Parts: sequence; structure tokens; C-alpha cells
Amino acid sequence: MKPAPFDYYAPDTLSDVVALLQRLENDDIDAKVLAGGQSLLPMLSLRVARPEALVDLRKLADLNYIREEGDTLAIGAMTTKSAVEDSPLVQRRQPLLHAATRLVGHRQIRNRGSFGGSFTQADPASEYPAAAIALDMELKVVGPDGERRVAAQDFFITYMTTDLDTTEVLTEIRVPALPAGTGWSFQEIARRHGDFAMAGVAVTLRVENGVCRAPRIVAFGVGATALRLPEAEQVVDGKALDSALFQEAGHAGAAALEEPSSDVHASADYRRQLVAVLVARGLAEAVARSAA
Amino acid sequence: MTTDMNNSLYELPTESPRFVGQQVRRIEDPALVSGSVEFIDNVTLPGMLHAAILRCPHPHARIVSIDTTAARQLPGVVAVLTGEDVKRWCNPVVTAPEGWGAYCLAVDKARFVGEPVMAIAATDRYIAEDACELVEVEYEVLPAVPDAPAAIAADSPLLFENQNSNVMLQRVYDWGEVEPLFERADHIVRETFRWNRVGANPMETFGCISQWNLADNSLTCRGSYQTPSFMVLGRSASLNLPSNKVRIIAHPHGGSFGGKGGPRGTDISALLSRKAGGRPVKYIEDRAEYLLAGGGQSWDRYYEAALAVMADGTVTGLKVKLLDDQGAGAEGYGTISVAKPLAAFTGPYRIQAAQYDLTVVATNRAPTFAYRGYGPPPHNLVLETLMDSAARELGIDSAEIRRRNYIQPEQFPYTIPSGNEYDSGNYPEVLARALQMADYEALRAQQQTARDEGRYLGIGVVSTVEPGVFDWNAYRTAGVQGVGVPEGARVNFDMLGQVTVTVGFALEGQGQYTVAAQVVADYFGLEMDAVRVVCASSDAAPPHFGPGGSRVGVALTGAVLGACHKIAEKFRRVGAVLLQCEPDDLELAGGAVRMRERPEAQLGLADLAGTMLARSDLLPPDMDPHPGATHVWTPPGRTEPDEQGRCKSYLTAANATHVVLVEVDPDTGVTEILKYVIVDDCGTRLNPANVEGQVQGGVAQGVGAALLEQYVYTEDGQPLVSTFADYLMPTLHEVPITQKGAVVTPSPFTPLGAKGCGEGSIHITPAAVICAINDALQPLGVKVRETPASPSRIWNLIREAGT
Repeated sequence: MKPAPFDYYAPDTLSDVVALLQRLENDDIDAKVLAGGQSLLPMLSLRVARPEALVDLRKLADLNYIREEGDTLAIGAMTTKSAVEDSPLVQRRQPLLHAATRLVGHRQIRNRGSFGGSFTQADPASEYPAAAIALDMELKVVGPDGERRVAAQDFFITYMTTDLDTTEVLTEIRVPALPAGTGWSFQEIARRHGDFAMAGVAVTLRVENGVCRAPRIVAFGVGATALRLPEAEQVVDGKALDSALFQEAGHAGAAALEEPSSDVHASADYRRQLVAVLVARGLAEAVARSAA
Repeated sequence: MTTDMNNSLYELPTESPRFVGQQVRRIEDPALVSGSVEFIDNVTLPGMLHAAILRCPHPHARIVSIDTTAARQLPGVVAVLTGEDVKRWCNPVVTAPEGWGAYCLAVDKARFVGEPVMAIAATDRYIAEDACELVEVEYEVLPAVPDAPAAIAADSPLLFENQNSNVMLQRVYDWGEVEPLFERADHIVRETFRWNRVGANPMETFGCISQWNLADNSLTCRGSYQTPSFMVLGRSASLNLPSNKVRIIAHPHGGSFGGKGGPRGTDISALLSRKAGGRPVKYIEDRAEYLLAGGGQSWDRYYEAALAVMADGTVTGLKVKLLDDQGAGAEGYGTISVAKPLAAFTGPYRIQAAQYDLTVVATNRAPTFAYRGYGPPPHNLVLETLMDSAARELGIDSAEIRRRNYIQPEQFPYTIPSGNEYDSGNYPEVLARALQMADYEALRAQQQTARDEGRYLGIGVVSTVEPGVFDWNAYRTAGVQGVGVPEGARVNFDMLGQVTVTVGFALEGQGQYTVAAQVVADYFGLEMDAVRVVCASSDAAPPHFGPGGSRVGVALTGAVLGACHKIAEKFRRVGAVLLQCEPDDLELAGGAVRMRERPEAQLGLADLAGTMLARSDLLPPDMDPHPGATHVWTPPGRTEPDEQGRCKSYLTAANATHVVLVEVDPDTGVTEILKYVIVDDCGTRLNPANVEGQVQGGVAQGVGAALLEQYVYTEDGQPLVSTFADYLMPTLHEVPITQKGAVVTPSPFTPLGAKGCGEGSIHITPAAVICAINDALQPLGVKVRETPASPSRIWNLIREAGT
């Protein structure tokens, strides 16, 4: 369990990183960007990943921040997950993100793991992609052609694959404010505390005059990426609140899943069941948390 | 006839010990916790090389050719070892039963995924692993035997062709007139079970540094060894070395639980050292290797069982049929785990007769090894589930049916149908205390309220007998040659009155060194600081076996007391010379030897030891001036097994009752443990902190087996577990912090009345949790009959029942 040989770089600035990535790309050298290393290092040790070069972002201290920019929270990609978890700003402004963060691995992992790393890793069972879609986050990416912004919905392409080019670096994640009174829920079922979820859901909605508005339901751990469940959303959108309806939404969402993944911990059928249960529970919890 | 022991030899010379029985701080913990002990991977020797092992990717394959040309050319590679070398220099590992062992590297064919095929020693581990990738092995894939039912199929491929069968052991034990009891029974309760493979996962995997001295053809192996003397015998046999030319230096290690394995890794690194001109070779098994094919897999079983019950709830007979999957051979002594249940086959109950129909087979799964508990946890799950089924069928409360069937306090020593003798106990009292602590009546009321609300709470009440202080005789029936299990200690005073206790086993974390220091300090009236406990290498240590079978606490106490007794005799003889009286006029008290009639005439122990070592000229020439002694303790009164395997095997019988409350979510199948109460009776508690640690640790492993852990194999025999993302050890979040209580019924057979207490908790926790889950599921009409009771498994049961 020792990594195969690789060249190691730790550039001082973001522009150096981008220039280096471009040079490696031009030289046809397979490079990987290293942030917190909580996913990449085990993969290196198991020789599942065997890049020829590692480009370490550890010197990019200016990618470590959490700040308010108007209604939006801007979080630097190299901010640790623990810092996000502990941030009063996040707790006050984005409680769903706070709740999701507490479910990412264990504290020791969050102490080392970068916030941006979970986005670029794009593990379909991880919490942040689901939170990102639920909260309409926007990702700031810097590459040889300068900066661009990508909506979370468009960032996650498929299993462990994102819109990020090999010469690009994710630098910032922008979290827009939720409309006032929005209720939310973040639920998952894992074999153990801190494990990747067998299935999970993120829910946001508003309640107006006893009617559900703008529901957004995102499932994770059950497909190639975190994914919205429009079939479930439609069941409750514009409807009076009713626990039977929540269950119906759960079943609609579960039924619409294309073949969910199957592994030693959970079959596809079981994952479908979990989505049905968690959607119903998530809707109930979000309603309870909504201001109306 | 009951067991006799020479009690006077094994008593403390004080009525009021200051340390024994107290929750004193453990002397070994600061160094273990701070990592300042020499864990093997922290050790570097001059010129040391690092080994990596290439492992077979197929469950069953003939090795057609191995091309190591490219690997040898990689700079940094020093030695390459293949099956051809091994065939020339070694023997297959000794097994029980005999003839089911392989060489340390696959010779001609490999029998499991992860079996070592060749190995490389290089200047660092990275290079060694790079070199392994350059080796080309051509395999001819053979049909595999993926599981135990396949192993006994008529046309099954053979693991060991010379055996003509995959069946290692098959026999039916009959203890008493079991058939008539079943004919007369008012009720017969039957169950089937599938216990999936689990095993030990210590924090530290196996590691060693082997060095072959080519000048005198001797071998020194340093490593994380649990049982050094056993390793010496094994290496001598497999490597064709005289046993006195093999030296094992056991290093402190991060736990073992029986899973340290080590024979293959030791032999491979030893042979690499031999090929590398005698340079030391380090091999550190990594976690992926450990999970795939280390010593961490055990207990892979299919059960059919039945209980004969009378209308009043009296349980009269037990039949257990076991099909046991040992994996690819018997190299891990996993066969012992099918024999150990004989030591407490019928648990704490007065069951008159029993039958054990045993079939042990080889498959193309990884070989199985010892794991804490060594076999009874699945057996107890079977027995306790049957007890619950009987209670349900008769409409008796699950606690009550146990109470009605317990062996009574006045019946001890009590011989069970399978032959072992229980020393002492008070089972009704343990149950009563547990029910009281759990507030059992209130739990049942809470369960009823929850059911009315559509929630599924369940209560498990289970009892167990933990055989402690093992003896090899118990395992002759599994083909193990019966030999004694000595545990020795050497106690030496230096000339300043400081004491060193030398033992033959390394620190693993259980706290036995503290027990040794407690006993010595109380014996001689010293502070515990004055006593140091050290582990000697196998050639310098007193005869020893080491931890295993819940024996070292008791055995070491006996060894230390025996040595102290011999030293006290020497002190009295020397004191008599100096005080000009007879030895019998003197007694040991308060850190001195003094005259019984004139206590002010006394000599301090430092004075005595100093005189013996520095002024032996003052003593008669025939008087031994060594203020030290060695004593080897063995369990008294053990007997050989008869034709039905019946013998006095384990010396002590501790007892416990667990009461567990769980809630099962029927929509997700998730089980939550809400309350966990344990009352145990392991006789005298030499150090209550040690006992509590053993109990809590066993609960952790038991919860893992009940809910989380499984070595998963595909239908083709491929293992799906290679990391801790697949093999789920319980964490702090999954393990309940238990409420613990104690009843103390000293053993009449052991030094100071202590009983073995290292395994009782894992023996019964799986049963406790599963029984609680089944109690919760009862209204849904389903029952868990396969471990672990994972959420998906429970949900599937509920779904299939259509409720």
C-alpha cells in the first residue's frame, strides 16, 4: 500500500498552478491536483490512482476564507471542512450547509479535507454535491483562459467526473442566500456515523398559506451524481401540506430513479426504499422548519 | 472428584491487600498510549531491507510460470523469493488436523485470493512494491469452491488433492441420551442460522523483522507476536531449524485478538533474509493485505439446531448441526473454534443431553484464524435464540425461561454433558441484578407503549458461561496434540530491593503487567513503583504461552505468587542465619522478614536481597544467594478427552447476563441500541478496571458482528472486502456505553479466586443484540437468522413477509 512513483509540485501562486497544469498537459503528463488529500491519498496508496505528477495547492493560502458578499457566502476552495462547520456565518446563513458538513466523514477528516475537494472529487454519495444543487451554489473556476463560473447543476457530469478541465482549478464556491422563510432538511442513512451515505436527500421549500412552494428535492448516493427529483417535487408543489402527500412524493421520487447503485452495503431496491422514506421525512422536517 | 489445588502456595501473605482488587492505574498504559514503546514498525536495524509480497488474484489457480527477470533488474531490489525456493528449503505449515497446510508461498497452486505467490526484498517498501508489479505470473485458473455447501457437493473441486475430499473433520458427538429426550419433549424448537465471516481487526496489523544468521544458521525474528513460544515451534518445523536456533523477540503491539497471524509473513521475511546474505528484512502487513488474507477472518458457519422443551419450560436436550467453512486449509488453527464450544456447550442451563453434528470443510476463501472468543459467539447465538423461541412458543417471559433452567449455586462444581466442569457461580443472582439495573418491568412497559404507537422496540435478555483459562486438551478433538499450557514468571530482587518480573509475552493492552505488579507489591508489602515488568525474548523468558483463551490474568497470578512464595522461603532462610533463629520462627510482613514472637527483630527486604547479592560470604556455602525465583503455573486437574471429546478443559466458568433494548425502524431496517446493561461474575476482580475494559471491548466487537461486520465473498469466491470502507468496524458512535454491575463468586480452583474474563462479552453480545432485534420484529412476523443484521437485511425480511 505505497503509491507508485510520481513527481511532486507545490507552486506558490494560483497562476503558477495553472501554468504548471498547462505545461504538464502539453507534455502529455497525467497530473492530479492535491488539496486536503482525504480521498486522493488513499487512492494513491492503493495504486487505484497513479498520476505521474501531483500539484499540491497547500501554499495557496489566499483560497482559505469564508466571507459575505452581499447576500452570498463566498467560500475559498482550500478552506477546511472544519472551518466551514465551525463558521458562525455558515451556521446562521446556511444551516443546511452546516448540517451537511457535519455528516462528511469524521472530524479528523474534516480537519484535513478541503471544502472544494468534495466538489472536484464528485463522489455521488458525498454530501456537498447534493447541498450544492439544493442551494444553487455557483462554482468559480480559474484556468489558462481566466475565470469562469459554473452552476452546481451543470458542474457534476457523472460518477467522479466534473466540468473541470485538467488545466483548471476550482477556487471558490458561492452560496446564494435562501429566500426568507425557506424550510430545509438534510437527511442520510449510512451504515455508520461518518460513512458515505447509502442514500440521502436535501430538501428546501417554502410554505405559503399552508401550501408548499418551490420545493427542491435532491437525492444522493443513488446514481452517478447527486440529482434533483422533479417527479417528487411535482407531487408537492403548490399542494396543501399533508403527510400522505409527502409519502407519495417519496414514492414518486424513488420510482423515477434510474437503476440506483448496488454494493455490499445496499442493493438497488433498498436504496430506492431509502429515497422514498427520506424524501417523506425530509419534506416533513423542511415544512416544520419553514417560517410559515 | 473435584479439582484440587495447593492453595497455600497461591495465597497472599496478607489479609488486607493494598492493590489486588483495587482499580489501580495501569502501569503499561502511559507508554502504550504515548507510543513510546517499540512498536515494530518504529524499529530500524542496520542494513535492513523491506519486503513486499505478490498475491494471487484468483480463488483457485495453478501457477504455470513466474518471470521475475524485470523485477530483479529494478535498482534497489536485493532478493527475490518464489515457490521454488520455498519447496527446497521449507515444509508446509503444521496444521490441526494434520495435512491441511500450505507452504508460506504458493507451491504449484494457490488456493485463495491473496495467497502469497512470490516476495521481494528491496531497499525500501516502495521499490519492493514497484518490483512486484514487474513480475509476470501465468496462472491456469481452476474451478473454485466458493463456500461450505459447495465444498461438500459431490462433484466439488478439491483444495488438497491428497486428501480426496474437502472435509477436514466430520463426526457426531453424543452426550447423553439425547434422542429419547427429544421423543419425550412437549415442544421441539428448531432454527437455522447463517453466521457470516467476521474477525479480529487490531489497530496494528502483523509486522516483523527477520534476520537469518548465516554463520551459525540461526534465526531471530522481532515482531508483533502474541504467542512467542508457539511461533518458535512453528518456525522450527516450517523452516527446518533446531528449535533452539529460533529466537522470537515479541514487541509491544497494538492489540491482537488472536488475529495477528504471522507464520507466513515471518517465514517469508526469514527466507528473504537468508537470500539477502543475512541482512534483516522487515515485513509490515498493510491493512489491505490484512483484510484480504491476514489473520483476521474467522467463523463462517451454517447451523441447524433444535431444543427439546417440556411444557413447564424445562429445557432437556440440545442438538446442534454445524457446517463450518475453514477457508483454504487449517493453517490458522481455526478448527479450534469448532471445538471450543464443547467447554460450555449447554451454556448456563441444566440441559441433560446434547448432540453436536460437526462438519468442517476447506473452501477457496482465506484461511480462518483465532478470534477473541474462539468459536462460542455463533454457538451462543444459536442457543440463546432457541431459548427465546421456546419462551415464545410456551408464552413464558424470556428472562423467566432462563431463570427456570439455570444451574443452581449449590450444584457447583457442575459437569456439563460435553464434559467440562464449571467451577462456581450464582446465575440467578446475576440475572436478578441485571434485570434490576435495567428496570426490566419498565422496559417491557415501554415496549408495549411503543408498539401501540407503531414503533418496534425489542428487549434481549441473554446469559452466558465464559470458559476461562484454556488448556490444549479441549482441542485434541479437533486434531490438536494435547500439551500443557505453562505460564511462567521470574521475579528478581536487585540488591537495592527493587523488583523485576520477567514474562514471556509482550504488551497488547489488556493490563496484565499491572496485575503482576499488584500481586508482587502486595506479597512483599512494596509500593507498585518498586516493581517493573518486562518481556524477555523467547530464549531468555521462563516457559510461557502468552495471552489466549482468557488465561493470562489467572495464570500469571499463579506464576507470580509461586515465584514470590519461593523467594519468601529464601528470605526466611537467609533471615534465620542473620537473626540466628530458625526459618520457621520468621514471617514475611510489612515489607520485612520478622520474628513471629518478637516482631521488632526484623530485616528489610532490601537488606536481605543486598546481603544475598553483595555479602554472600555471610551465608552458609550451600545456601542459594539469589533473591529471585521462577515459577511456572499450569491449570490443575485437567483431564484428557474421552472418546466423545469430554474432558475437564477450561478451569474457570465466568457468567454474565446482558439486557439490551433496541429500536428497529421498519421503514429503513436501521437498528438503534437504546440501552445496554451487563452484570457479570468473573470471581475475584484482581483489577476492576481491567475487567471493565475487557467487558466493554467485547461489547464493541460483539456489536460489530451483530450489526456491521462481514467479509463478503461473491458466488465465485472473490472477496469484496479490501478496506475499512467495506469491512465496517463499529466506532464510538455505534458502540453503546454499557451500564455494568458485578457479582463476585470466587473460583475455588484458581489463585486468589479470579476467573478468565477476556471473552465473555464477545461470546454473548451478538446473541443479545440479535435476540433484542427479533423481539422487536416479533409483531411483524419475521426473524433475523443471518448475521450481520444490517439495515438492508432487516428491510428485506420485512418486505418479503409483506407486512
